[in-house]
Amino acid sequence: MATNRLVTQGKVQIYADTLFNAANDAGGADAAVAVRNQIQELRHLIYQDMDLSLALNDSAYSPEQRYGLAKAVFADCETALTETLAVMVEQGDIDLLGQVYHAYEDVMADKLKLVVVDVVTVVPLDDELRKLIEQKAEAELGCKAVLNESIDKSILGGIIMSVNGMRIDASVLSQLNRARYVLKDSDGGDSQ
Amino acid sequence: MRTRARKMAMASAAALSAAFCPSLAFAAESEEVGGISAILPDMLEFVPMLVAFIILWIILAKFGWPMFAGMLEKRENTIREALQQSEEAKIESERVLAEYKQQLADAKAEATKVVAEARETGEAVRQSIQDKAQAEAEDMISKARITIEAEKKAAMAELQASIADTSVDVAAKLIGNDLTEGEHRAIIERYVKEAGSFNGN
Repeated sequence: MATNRLVTQGKVQIYADTLFNAANDAGGADAAVAVRNQIQELRHLIYQDMDLSLALNDSAYSPEQRYGLAKAVFADCETALTETLAVMVEQGDIDLLGQVYHAYEDVMADKLKLVVVDVVTVVPLDDELRKLIEQKAEAELGCKAVLNESIDKSILGGIIMSVNGMRIDASVLSQLNRARYVLKDSDGGDSQ
Repeated sequence: MRTRARKMAMASAAALSAAFCPSLAFAAESEEVGGISAILPDMLEFVPMLVAFIILWIILAKFGWPMFAGMLEKRENTIREALQQSEEAKIESERVLAEYKQQLADAKAEATKVVAEARETGEAVRQSIQDKAQAEAEDMISKARITIEAEKKAAMAELQASIADTSVDVAAKLIGNDLTEGEHRAIIERYVKEAGSFNGN
């Protein structure tokens, strides 16, 4: 007899496989990467917007109403993602989106032999930097790397790279924070 | 004592002879006396008186004297016993007195010992109180020093943190405002090359 955890894992895997196959069939690797990036943005959006999260999980609505709500809210996403999210909301499984995201990355890496590297910088990357980062990721991960670039002025400078839950924070902000902690923790030579 | 008893016996014999021969005595007093005869006893009076005296003396010696001697002896024994008892009492009193003196001496020695012990105890208590006060004072001083040191360190840490925050904030503003895109890209390139591995190495 399957436990709830196994049932959940099974559902997550079905959603991820279905979503990947639909995206890949629709637009190949680019569509698959685009779907992955959109899932990532939606995770943050649902996590930050409490009203949206409550509405998508509201049992006062019928499954059909929730399906319609999800279709309307996620209409601008890739078609495969919109349909999949609508089904998840209809079934009351939208809380599994984080697990679906990780499972989707695994499926993508397994079937397309590529990983998406999320890159955060203060200024847009040029081709030379893109190539440098892709080469580093491919050399270390052993598969093709695709960059998902974003701009964030708050990191002050440098770069933050993350892939498959691993994160390299080489931002100026983190270095300044490290310097701040070092300055605060040093005893000014009293211990000598 | 025996002499006194004898005098008493002679007086008693004279009284008895006077009682037995009253007519002879009155007859002699009525006659005219003169010359030497005035001092010589009349034989008619003297003999009966002598006989009476002898008889009385014999009676007294036979019956009175032993009883009297027994009373005297009894009295003597009583006095001797009393003297002996008084002597024993004196000895006892001297013994008791010596015992009391000994007890008094013991009590004095005990009192001296108690006083000495009390003095020693008092000295020990005084020393203990002094030591305790000294220890408490040292402890208070030590705690005060620790507190002062902790407050000094806290103040230093607070000042250090403030300086660190200010320095980092100034550095952040300088970096954010003054760096060009080219400089940012140069930093990114250097960081990518120097950054660690995705595999955690």
